[in-house]
Amino acid sequence: MGLFANSEDFEKVIVGFFNLVAETPEVADKLLASKLVIRFNYHDPEVVVVVDCSQEKIQVRSGDKEAQAIVEMSMSADIAHKFWFGKVNLTMALARRQMIAKGPVPKILKLLPAIRPTYTMYPRYLDTSGHSNYNVH
Amino acid sequence: MLPEFYQFQLSTKVLYGPGLALDFSHELHELGASRYFLISDQVIQACGLVDGIAERLQEEGFTITGKYLDVPQDASVTCVEAIAAQASQTGAQGLLAVGGGSVIDAAKAANFIFTNGGSLIADYSGAATLAKRLKPLVVIPTTAGTGSECTLAAVIYDQENNTKLSFSDKFLLPDLAVLDPQMTVTMPSLLTAATGMDALTHAVEAYVGVDASPHSQALGQLAIAYITRNIAQAVENGGDLTARGAMLIGANLAGISFSHSMVGCVHSMAHAVGAVARVPHGIANAILLPHGMAYNLEECQEAYAGLAPLFGADANGRHAGDAARMAIESVKKLTAELNRICALPIRLRDAGVEKDMLPLIARKAEEDGTAIYNPRPVTAEEIMVPLQNAF
Repeated sequence: MGLFANSEDFEKVIVGFFNLVAETPEVADKLLASKLVIRFNYHDPEVVVVVDCSQEKIQVRSGDKEAQAIVEMSMSADIAHKFWFGKVNLTMALARRQMIAKGPVPKILKLLPAIRPTYTMYPRYLDTSGHSNYNVH
Repeated sequence: MLPEFYQFQLSTKVLYGPGLALDFSHELHELGASRYFLISDQVIQACGLVDGIAERLQEEGFTITGKYLDVPQDASVTCVEAIAAQASQTGAQGLLAVGGGSVIDAAKAANFIFTNGGSLIADYSGAATLAKRLKPLVVIPTTAGTGSECTLAAVIYDQENNTKLSFSDKFLLPDLAVLDPQMTVTMPSLLTAATGMDALTHAVEAYVGVDASPHSQALGQLAIAYITRNIAQAVENGGDLTARGAMLIGANLAGISFSHSMVGCVHSMAHAVGAVARVPHGIANAILLPHGMAYNLEECQEAYAGLAPLFGADANGRHAGDAARMAIESVKKLTAELNRICALPIRLRDAGVEKDMLPLIARKAEEDGTAIYNPRPVTAEEIMVPLQNAF
C-alpha cells in the first residue's frame, strides 16, 4: 500500500502544491514560457490533474480528462511525492518505467532546471498546509 | 565514486564480421519470423547494398515481402506510416533495415504501428509508452556514427508541425544488429569523418555526463580508443576493412554508452547550430567537441586525464590538469588531420554559421534537452565562450 490512503487526500496535497507553484513567479514564469499543457495521471490512488501553462496564468484543473494535453505523465502517487522532494531522477524513472511520458519528452526535460526550486518548496508546503504527516520520503 | 543508482540493458544481439550481411540468415530462425519487409534509401540502393541482401535471404528460404527505399535524410512521419502500412499489407512478420541512422530510426518507429496499429504521434511519441515487445527488427548499419542499431531511441521529423519527435522505449531496441564493415566501404570520406566524429562525441559526452555509469564508461572508453585510432585511416582509405570495422564497432559501443548516459553540451550546441544554420549534425559535433570539452574542463579534469592516453596523448606522469588539456589538444589535432584529408570543417564560420547567429545559438543550446546531462550548467551567457572559440 502506498503512502496516500485515498484519492481525496492525495488530490488535496498535489493540487494544493500545484496551485502554490502557479503562484510562485520564479517557477511559474518559466512554466508559462513553455506553453505546455500537461496531464498527470496518478495511480495508487487514482487522481488526474491538468496543469495548463498555455494561458496567461497557470491553471490547475483536477479531474480534467478531456483537455487536449501536449504531454501526459503517468506514475504512482508515491513516485510523484518523491519527485517533488527532488528524490527521483526523471530520466532514470522513465527508463525504469516508474513514469510513462507521452508527447515531447525533451520539452519536459528542459523544464527540470526551472522547477528545481520546488524541491525545497514541497516539504515546506506539506508542513504549512496541514499535511505534515506526509512530510516523509 | 559510484552512482546511487543506474541500470544497463541491451537486448539486441550484435554480430560482427566482414561479409556477414550476406551470411546471417541462420540467426533469423531464432526470431520466429520468415517474412521480412525491407527498408532502406535510394543512396544505399544505388550502391547495390540492398538487392544482394534480399536475394541471399530469399535463397535461404526467407521471403522479402516488399521494399521501401525512399527514407529521406530526416526520417519523417509520412515515411514511417508508409513503411508500417506496406509491411502490413504485404504480410510481413518482421522488419529489416539496411542503412544509416535515419533508415534505422524509421524502421524502429514504423515497428510501433506495424505491431500495434494506432497513431505514431498520439500513441507512441514519448518515453516508455509500450507494454510489450514489438515484432522482430533486424538492422544492418551502413554508416559508423549514430549507433542507432543498439539504442532505445528514435528521432522522427514531423513535417506537419516542423518539429522533431523523440521516441524512447526499451522495446525499440532491434532484435539483431549485423555489423559488417563491407557495408560501410562506399561511404564518402567526408561522411565517414563526420559520422565518426559524431560517434566520438557520443563516447566522450556519455563518459563525463551526469548520468555516466561504470557500464557506460567502460564502453565509452573502448569506443574512444577504436575511433581515434582508426578514423583517419577509414577516411583516407575507405577500402581498409580493418579501419572500417573498428569504426563500426566504436560507433556501436558509443551508441550503447550514450543510450544509457545521454550526451551533453557539445550536442546542445550542435543541435542549436543545426537548427539555426542547418549545419549537418556530425560536422557540428566535430567542430564543437574540443570546445565543449574545454567548457567542461574544470568539472572533468580527472576524467579527461584518464582518457588522454586513449586519444593518443602521452600524458604519462603529467598533472591531471595538463593531461586533460593534452586530451583536448589531441582532439583538435585529430580534427585538423581530418580537415587535411577530406576538408572536414573545423570552424563554425567554415560550415555556414554567421557571427550574428551565435547569441541565438547560445540561447537554443541552453534550452536544449541534452543540456541537463552536462557536468557543468549550460547557460546562454557562458556557452557563448566555446561558441566564439569555435567560430
